[in-house]
Amino acid sequence: MYYPYFLTYMLAGFIISILVFFWALYNRQFKDQQRARFLPLQGGDQAEPVRVSKMNRIEGYALLGLACLGLLTTAAVLIFALVRGG
Amino acid sequence: MDSSATSATLTNRTARAFCLTSAGWMVMATLMGLAGATELIAPDLSHNIGWLVFGRVRPIHVNLVLFGFVTPGLLASAFYFLPRLLQTEIYSERLGLITVWLWNITLLAAVISLASGFSQGREYAELIWPVDLLVVACFGLVCYNLFMTVKRRREPLLYVSVWYVCAAVILTSVTYCIGNVIWQPNSGALVGIPDAIILWFYGHNIFGLLLTPLAIAVAYYVIPTAIRSPLYSHTLSLIGFWSLLVVYTHIGTHHLLQVPVPTWLKVIAIVDSIAMVIPVMVFLINIWYTAKGKLGEIHADIGAKFVFTGTIMYFFVSIQGSIMALPQVQRVTHFNNWVVGHAHIGVLGFAAMIALGGLYFIIPRITGRPLYSRFLADLQYWLVLIGVVGFTVVLTTVGLIQGNAWLNGETVYRVLPEIHLYYVLRASLGFLIFSSAIIGFYNIIRSLLSQSGAKA
Ligand code: HEM
Repeated sequence: MYYPYFLTYMLAGFIISILVFFWALYNRQFKDQQRARFLPLQGGDQAEPVRVSKMNRIEGYALLGLACLGLLTTAAVLIFALVRGG
Repeated sequence: MDSSATSATLTNRTARAFCLTSAGWMVMATLMGLAGATELIAPDLSHNIGWLVFGRVRPIHVNLVLFGFVTPGLLASAFYFLPRLLQTEIYSERLGLITVWLWNITLLAAVISLASGFSQGREYAELIWPVDLLVVACFGLVCYNLFMTVKRRREPLLYVSVWYVCAAVILTSVTYCIGNVIWQPNSGALVGIPDAIILWFYGHNIFGLLLTPLAIAVAYYVIPTAIRSPLYSHTLSLIGFWSLLVVYTHIGTHHLLQVPVPTWLKVIAIVDSIAMVIPVMVFLINIWYTAKGKLGEIHADIGAKFVFTGTIMYFFVSIQGSIMALPQVQRVTHFNNWVVGHAHIGVLGFAAMIALGGLYFIIPRITGRPLYSRFLADLQYWLVLIGVVGFTVVLTTVGLIQGNAWLNGETVYRVLPEIHLYYVLRASLGFLIFSSAIIGFYNIIRSLLSQSGAKA
């Protein structure tokens, strides 16, 4: 009999989630969302200026090659499914 | 920020210890994977060497990847960014260090017990009861430390990464106990179909409720910080969080669609697997919009580059996963290397990529010096990327050969010679990934422990 375990698990998860959700609501966690967007930027990691670099040509080709390989596999699967599928 | 919790005053000792743990076990985990792949080419290789047979090597590989390499890597970042997001110190760095020691003892116990043949024989839940208790103790300590840190925070608003980390550690503590049937020390299992169901709740949740939320948490911190831009939408991120909790918890049965489990459970699993598109796309749209127009900044920071690539892999693995949950598709893809391909896109391409990205992002910030070698980190990036794309292509192809042969009623011994070549390719790609792990280990150790850092 697995129902008791399964239902206990689902019920426990459900009740805990509801409780936490209402805790969050009550504690105004869903307010002030504009400020929340900036929280990672307050950590004092911003001392150095941010650097920018460009992809060089070889890197671009390599990424394109890998992407094509992945996409070709996907295309092959689709063609296979359409041609051979029942 | 209060002066007691500025970046300069935080000691990051737990984060540092988790970095070392992850780097060390990464080498061992990939070595075991390579050993397994080699044995698939030459099954007699480990003949008569009990501790090296495939049946023992595989669970060692899997458990080390999950609990030795990826989870500690992601936790290292979590222990780094939580004090910064909450504007307080970690509740107890000493407790953190004790946790890391216990974590390593647990991993050692896992390897020794599995290599000696002590296994509960359930996929992803092989560890025997005493080791299970150690795992639960580790997660319990992490939970306590993190929750006390959250409790003592000076920043009232919880950023989305904090939500994800807390959910991951608490849900895993509970799921681990249930999935390993911890109240049955002898077998660690129920009987028959009920056991399969409970096992796959756990097996699925290890990816869905441990690796995924931790990796998402790291991405939500690293990307905005690296490009110095605010998150595109915090509201959207919270919608993603709550929908992930609702949807991901009940889909374990999509691993059992070919098994006589009750239909209603299969229906829930399939519907929720498709519904996963919602939390996945919410996260990806949010993170990609945050990064829009800032790819140069991401390219310049090797940590962010790993993390961003991980988000792309998350897109592929999740879309593939939703399709694989359809019974018609699984008639071909189930029980063969297709699933192994999916597993590697998910765990290596998504979760491990982000774990490595997190490590490379935080290490220079912890030490105050650039990485020992940006070149080696880049090399590792390319080796992992080529390895994981190669795995995808090779394992998907083998999976289709195997799946169709099975559907056509071919016998296994006729199919095996056909796929031998692919196994050779797969082991070669595994060698790339193992090499990348050694390079990464060296780079991380030198970056953390030596006194000077090369200019990046
Ligand atoms: C929307 C998201 C996803 C869905 C719907 C999904 C769906 C699935 C399905 C249906 C299977 C079973 C295939 C079968 O046995 O025939 C599976 C297997 C697996 N998935 Fe996913 N997946 C998702 C994302 C992920 C992610 C993000 C990871 C890793 C972090 C992951 C890791 C795995 C692994 C390791 C297995 C292999 C389990 C085994 O050993 O049998 N998946 N997934």
